[in-house]
Amino acid sequence: MGLDYLATVLLSALSSASILLIATIGLAVVFGLMGVINLAHGEFLMIGAYAALTATQHGVPFVLSIPIAVIVTVVIGAIVEMLIINRLYGRLFDTMLATWGLSMVFYQLAVLMFGTVTPGIGMPAYSLHIGRYSLAAYPLLMIFVAAAMMAFVYMLMIRTPYGRKARAAIQVPDMAQAIGIDSRKTNTMTFSIGCGLAGFAGAVLLPIVPATPAMGFAFVIKAFLAVVVAGPVALTGAAIAALGAGGGASVVASFFTSVVGDVFFFSITAALLWLYPQGISAQWRRKM
Amino acid sequence: MTSQKLYGHAGLIFPAIVAVLLLAMSPFLDSYFAYVATSWVVFGLLGLSLDVVWGRAGFLSLAQTAFYGIGGYVAGVATINFGPVTGNTIVWLLPVGILAGALVAAALGWIIFYARMGTLQSTILSYTFTLLLWSLTQSFKAKAGTAVVGGDNGMADIPGIALAFGHGSSALNQASAFAATVVLAAAAYFIVRRIMRGTFGQIVNCVRLDIQKTELLGYDVRRYQLVNVALSGAIAGLAGALFGAWSNYLSPSIFSVQEALLVPIYVLVGGLGTLAGPFVGALIVGGLSFWLGGGAVGGQTTLVLGIVLILLVLFLRNGVLGALGALWQRHLPDPNEAARDAGMVSIDAGALEGILADAAIQAGPAKKLSTHDAFKEFGGVVPVNKICLDFDPGRPFALIGPNGAGKSSYLKVCVGIYQPESGSIQIEGKDVTRTPIFERVHLGMGVKNQKPQIFGELTVADNLWVAAYSRLRDASKAANVASAILAMLGLEGQSKVQASALSHGQQQWLDIGMVLSLAPRVVLLDEPAAGMTNEETRELSKLVRILAKHMTVIVVEHDMEFVRMLEGHVTVLHRGEVFAQGDIDTLRADDRVLDIYLGRRAHV
Repeated sequence: MGLDYLATVLLSALSSASILLIATIGLAVVFGLMGVINLAHGEFLMIGAYAALTATQHGVPFVLSIPIAVIVTVVIGAIVEMLIINRLYGRLFDTMLATWGLSMVFYQLAVLMFGTVTPGIGMPAYSLHIGRYSLAAYPLLMIFVAAAMMAFVYMLMIRTPYGRKARAAIQVPDMAQAIGIDSRKTNTMTFSIGCGLAGFAGAVLLPIVPATPAMGFAFVIKAFLAVVVAGPVALTGAAIAALGAGGGASVVASFFTSVVGDVFFFSITAALLWLYPQGISAQWRRKM
Repeated sequence: MTSQKLYGHAGLIFPAIVAVLLLAMSPFLDSYFAYVATSWVVFGLLGLSLDVVWGRAGFLSLAQTAFYGIGGYVAGVATINFGPVTGNTIVWLLPVGILAGALVAAALGWIIFYARMGTLQSTILSYTFTLLLWSLTQSFKAKAGTAVVGGDNGMADIPGIALAFGHGSSALNQASAFAATVVLAAAAYFIVRRIMRGTFGQIVNCVRLDIQKTELLGYDVRRYQLVNVALSGAIAGLAGALFGAWSNYLSPSIFSVQEALLVPIYVLVGGLGTLAGPFVGALIVGGLSFWLGGGAVGGQTTLVLGIVLILLVLFLRNGVLGALGALWQRHLPDPNEAARDAGMVSIDAGALEGILADAAIQAGPAKKLSTHDAFKEFGGVVPVNKICLDFDPGRPFALIGPNGAGKSSYLKVCVGIYQPESGSIQIEGKDVTRTPIFERVHLGMGVKNQKPQIFGELTVADNLWVAAYSRLRDASKAANVASAILAMLGLEGQSKVQASALSHGQQQWLDIGMVLSLAPRVVLLDEPAAGMTNEETRELSKLVRILAKHMTVIVVEHDMEFVRMLEGHVTVLHRGEVFAQGDIDTLRADDRVLDIYLGRRAHV
């Protein structure tokens, strides 16, 4: 086994972990800032993917279809928050059930509108050569996309008035209310940002993961686990969980089969939950 | 029978009437309709399995279809292989399905409960388990004896329900299979109802309402959760076995998200925690999709069900039976009316002495509590820094200190809520440093936390009974102890009132009464006077002084007036260490103590 092979395995592991992280960030933002698990997160990913696909089919260049997907999901997310999530504030499991119902509605609507099989769009045909091996460039690009998304979210939380309010609202909710932060408005913002991040993920991953109505289920299982393993400090925790468990699973999968990789992923998260029943970040002092 | 009595037995009478009616009707049913209706009964049973674990124990499990599917598959394999030998298939279907469901549920429950996972972690892990089975079974192919488990192709040729023994016995026709399923489902329902109305069910209710308090009363809560989830898995496994016998075929779609989604819908439509509700829910959902002509999987059912789930969560949280029950209850006399005429609690000292004397006979002499070098840190902060203290009976011990001195953390280390990094804790010389909370309670520890911890949905008498039963394990002895404590608190008039209807002060007294029901030999009280009026505080100090004559009493307190009234031994904690000890007057004269309380510089 040569050094070039090892480098290839590590790079592709990093890229698939980044893909998982891209799909997870939106979920982590909503959970970390609102304490809400959005079981329809995967379907927002799917909506983003279909929005981008539809745009490219109408002649919009792929790069420009991504912001369209973000806008579509942000708007739908805001409507969902105002109609459903707002009324269930503080009722974690009711929110989960309602968003679960929502995920089925979105799934069935997608089946009605687009059918069960849709064409993917081709992956940009660049590739990278390491020794005797070559890797497609687009998945590798996802490493930078994931890093950029993380940086974007941190900047949003640290540098903007919205971010300061949102962080205040999770640290001391009563105090935030008392100094006049409208937590309802902040929550609507947070939820739709989370949905927009999912839409972005669906669009940017479209060349790798073709749009199908059921893509949500398959894709977000690992995202849920990453967020749950992360615990209260959702964003940083989820990044570590996604990179660690996702990267590890990818390395294992490259030596065995993808099923073994999945089993590894589930076992590692079960083991982490066994060791940290409230999530790995339960004892951390930082809040983001 | 009065309306009130009928209300109390509604869960017994109405289901019995319905079951008898269904059996009487079954010979006259159209055979296709009987066939479809059988599936509704099976789905109701599946819903019941979720109600047991979610409505009663408070754990929203999304793995019910996993237990159901596994029960179905394993029972199917057993029946395909051994059914032809006996002719009768029930003897294979039922025990194998029940056992498989119970074992898998227990295994998953063991991981979740003994790891002490958070509620969110538990639910997501159970969901993942279902999804994992879904993806694994798609490609899984195996041959078990004559049964072929064909991955995506499913498992065919599962025999239907056959009652007659002997070779060549044939499966029941649709109408009789319907009748047999109704009998089995009714039996399961009445058994579950009996269990849930008994002691086990009462304690499972307590676990849902306040798991920490239940453990502080000395119950092994994780074992109750485990047994409960195994019971739920057994019901789901039974439903799965019956489903296999009904459809003669199983495929991985039984583990699908759509299938899993239906279970909470049945429960929510019918009414969470009602046990009979899931059957009503399955009937309504099944009947609706039958009437719409879609069948359970085809058409736009998914879309409709998704919307139904959202609407239910938003607008009809208690389901059909819950709403009907609330409507009926409005026409019954208010059981909580007596809460209004409760006066201030005044302790009957004579009665208290009697209770404590009985407790000493049953539970033995008072026990000492001691900690040696107890050390606890949280990422650099050390709230408990090598504290060595011995507490013994006679006079109450008060722990005081400025905010952040480590009083509550030290108490939590003693109770077992926090695990110390080093050092040891002993109850009467027995090391309990690594002993779980409920076992410390068995050794004689009694704990009252700052907020009143009572089971709001239970009556006042039941609250005390649950506490006494934990120690005595005898229903009638526990009832005697509960009524003695009620009389001592002067709350007899409120015994049938729901505890949540009591005022804050009365809830504190009830909580103290529950601790006394345990006949503790060491009592730890965390700010018991918080939120009490001056008169109540005086009563409380009287009670604590009497208690200290019979047992070791440790009080963490802010209220200096209360500490003075206790006339006990005072320990001042500061920065996680023992700072000074003595009686309150000596400490009041101590400049160093005043310094840390008032923030003065030494010797200004």
